[in-house]
Amino acid sequence: MLFSLKGIRRTTPYLEKLRSLPLFAELSTQELAILAGLLHVRDYVGGEVIFDEGEVGQAVYFILEGKVTICRQGRPEEGFLTELGSGEFFGELGLLDDAVRTAQARATRNCQVVVLFREDFNGLMESHLRIAHKIGRQLLRHLGERLRELGQATGNHRHL
Amino acid sequence: MNKTFHSESGPVVWAAIIAATLLLLLVFRGTLWLVAPALLALLLYHALRPLVRALIFRGMSREQAASLVMLVFLIVMATTIFFTAPRIAGQAIEWQASAERYLQGGLNLLQTGLRALEERFAPFARAHLADVVARRIDQSGGLVEHLEPLTVGLATYLPSMLLAPFLAYFFLRDGQRFKSLVCRAVPNAYFEKSLALFHKVDKVAGAYFLGLLKLTALDALTLAAGLWLLGFSGSLALGLVCAILAWVPYFGSLLGGVLVVMVAATDFPDAPAMAYLAAGLFIVVRLLDDFFYMPITVGRELHMHPLVTVVMIFAGGAVAGIAGLMLVLPVLGVVRVVGETVGAVVMDTRLSARHRHARKLRQQLAERDLTGPHG
Repeated sequence: MLFSLKGIRRTTPYLEKLRSLPLFAELSTQELAILAGLLHVRDYVGGEVIFDEGEVGQAVYFILEGKVTICRQGRPEEGFLTELGSGEFFGELGLLDDAVRTAQARATRNCQVVVLFREDFNGLMESHLRIAHKIGRQLLRHLGERLRELGQATGNHRHL
Repeated sequence: MNKTFHSESGPVVWAAIIAATLLLLLVFRGTLWLVAPALLALLLYHALRPLVRALIFRGMSREQAASLVMLVFLIVMATTIFFTAPRIAGQAIEWQASAERYLQGGLNLLQTGLRALEERFAPFARAHLADVVARRIDQSGGLVEHLEPLTVGLATYLPSMLLAPFLAYFFLRDGQRFKSLVCRAVPNAYFEKSLALFHKVDKVAGAYFLGLLKLTALDALTLAAGLWLLGFSGSLALGLVCAILAWVPYFGSLLGGVLVVMVAATDFPDAPAMAYLAAGLFIVVRLLDDFFYMPITVGRELHMHPLVTVVMIFAGGAVAGIAGLMLVLPVLGVVRVVGETVGAVVMDTRLSARHRHARKLRQQLAERDLTGPHG
């Protein structure tokens, strides 16, 4: 058959790395391969700024290797908020709208990240709804978890 | 496209955009054989991309989807040409005769109009306006004299137009790969902003080309319906020709209007009111196009200031003739987007500082093991 409608794809180490990311955990190998075509791999050296506080967010970043510090603008030590490692992601609100980044992200040490842009995610919703739905569901779970944490920290439980 | 970037583009960036546009038109003048099919290929790419996406959604690889869509497109085109080519060849001679007849009809209408002016206004009568115009037209030669080189000129472009589906196929197949390649070349500091702009350009260009096709169909059908109601023969063909002519800003619409009036004057020689009705209908369709069809299809995102548009059309015509007239606005649109993007990204001092900082860090990293106790 010249064209197969359900081509079977073999997994690769890169696709397996992507599968280990929580937002992509539910995707099949074929879906991961389609998604991989939209992702951008970037390498940052330790100390390099990934994005600034106050910048308009356009994308979400997934850490494949290394560590990233989330801090107040220009104050990685006294303004330290958290440190994220391999498998974690940040800047996820950039997938939703044009809201500005609320903190700065810096590579703590050399790191490799993959980037998914909002426009590509919107494109996925039009062309591959199933993939976008799976990612969106995981993103909602993640945001719900953050909201619960915030509720517990502030004592506001209206959202629960 | 993006108001933020419009406000950031200063006179220097705009001067560079205009200079680059005119320079490109000068280059395109010599490579029109490639520019025309490339533009057609872009149109094809945006028209066929939804089909490719739909097939990828069904599980095909991008290569398979692009090949299948292009194969089906070529089969449809070949079938259409196979069935219509003999008919077109058979009617070609008749068309030439018709063209001369319609031109004569238009000239008769012009003469009638000028004589009417002479009757009402003495200065025109003293200047023998109708006779002078008729003499000038006679001196400029017959239609055949102009039509033949034009037809031969257009025919020389036909082989290169075969490049269009070939280029469109590679745009469909490797567009995403090319985008990734370009993105890899962008430094980290500029990456997010550049790609966000790239997405915006892609989205607007896609909407523009698809919108242009829809706009042409709407214009053609509305004009054809109006002409059919007035009793014109071949109304659909005339509507389509006028809608395609409207791709050339201002001059195309003017030419389309003249064409409709010429056909009215020839097909209804005893009813001069028909020419006025046809002209009125054409104006109504252009108004519908401007105020109703355009906003719902192409949108007003690509629109520039009318003064810039008109000046650039004249400049394009002066630099590269008819090709310049046709290409100046699409080229200006692309150059403007690229210029504003580069301007916005390069002139962002924070991004430049981050880029310099990253370069310094990389340099330090590369030199780290070179500066030991003996270094």
